[in-house]
Amino acid sequence: MKRHIISAILLGSLVFAAPAFAQSNSDTETVQIGGNVAPLCVLGAPSATLIDLGQLVNLSGNRVGKLAALGDRSVTMPGSFCNYANSKLTVDASALVAVDTSAPQNGFARAVNYTATAGGWASANALATTAAAAGGASPSASASGGTQATPKLNDVTLTLSGYSVPSDLLLVAGGYSGQVVITLGPAAVVN
Amino acid sequence: MKKLWILSACLAGIATTPATAQSAPGPVTGTVTVGGNVAARCLFTTASEVITIPELSDLATGGITGKLAGSTVNGQTKKLAGWCNGSASTMTVQATALTNSVATPNSSFDNRVDYTATAVTSTGSAFDSSIGALSAGSGSNVAIFTGDIDVTLSAASSPNGGVLVAGAYTGQVDVTLSPAL
Repeated sequence: MKRHIISAILLGSLVFAAPAFAQSNSDTETVQIGGNVAPLCVLGAPSATLIDLGQLVNLSGNRVGKLAALGDRSVTMPGSFCNYANSKLTVDASALVAVDTSAPQNGFARAVNYTATAGGWASANALATTAAAAGGASPSASASGGTQATPKLNDVTLTLSGYSVPSDLLLVAGGYSGQVVITLGPAAVVN
Repeated sequence: MKKLWILSACLAGIATTPATAQSAPGPVTGTVTVGGNVAARCLFTTASEVITIPELSDLATGGITGKLAGSTVNGQTKKLAGWCNGSASTMTVQATALTNSVATPNSSFDNRVDYTATAVTSTGSAFDSSIGALSAGSGSNVAIFTGDIDVTLSAASSPNGGVLVAGAYTGQVDVTLSPAL
């Protein structure tokens, strides 16, 4: 009987002593690191900031004084990117309107319409066609392209094409100016 | 006659007694040997620290290429504190890359920022790069020390050198002190 008691005491000692031996003498500490990258869209620097269409009208022939055949013009914005999903291109185009704001006489127009297409982003380009009146009223047109579902880095290209004059009228003389604004941003703006 | 002889012998015995009584009982010494032990041990005495980097891309530095601005990571530092009581103590560092759970569409983008983490005590230093498989760097002897353990980040890079995908990035540096038993 006594022998059993001794055994029990020994076992008890071992059991209680075990946690002390199991303790690790090493120690590890952690420095947590947190960073952030802001949602960002950037258009590359345009290959040209001015498109000069030159002479807009024919100077001879049966269409003299009327809109000449103008070729397509393109501007490239290389290395444009959005670092987040669901972005889109938007084009805001303003027709070429005569700097001379005088109301044109009958048979004349002071506006040249065109189609501005911004591509290189989503599968559907942003395409806006201006529809200014002969007197230059309502020159603006806007359109958005499709939604780019993933972050993207690519060259965005703006192309001007499809020039026209309301009712194919004669154009009043003088300088003409218009502009195209391209925006790359989120497909849905959260207010 | 014979009886007297015995008595004589006894007397002779008495005569020798004084010689034995000259050394009185003196002190004796017993020894109890006391042994103690202190296990080699290392311990951190600070709570964990946090490094927060508000913007990893060059948006904050004016470049606006959307790529990693290494200066936002390099030089970031925090102090831990601890001690080791054994001359064979070692320190290791394990750097876990900063990662973003958002997938990259192609190699023009990155969702990972690698770096090198270096921990320095008054007696030694250890480092690890987060590039490649996750594992601690080589151990370095830091012997017996107590005090600050400076953890500093450097050599930041992204795998493709691409545009960083937007969002939150998390990583960590684990510093381990071992008594190297």
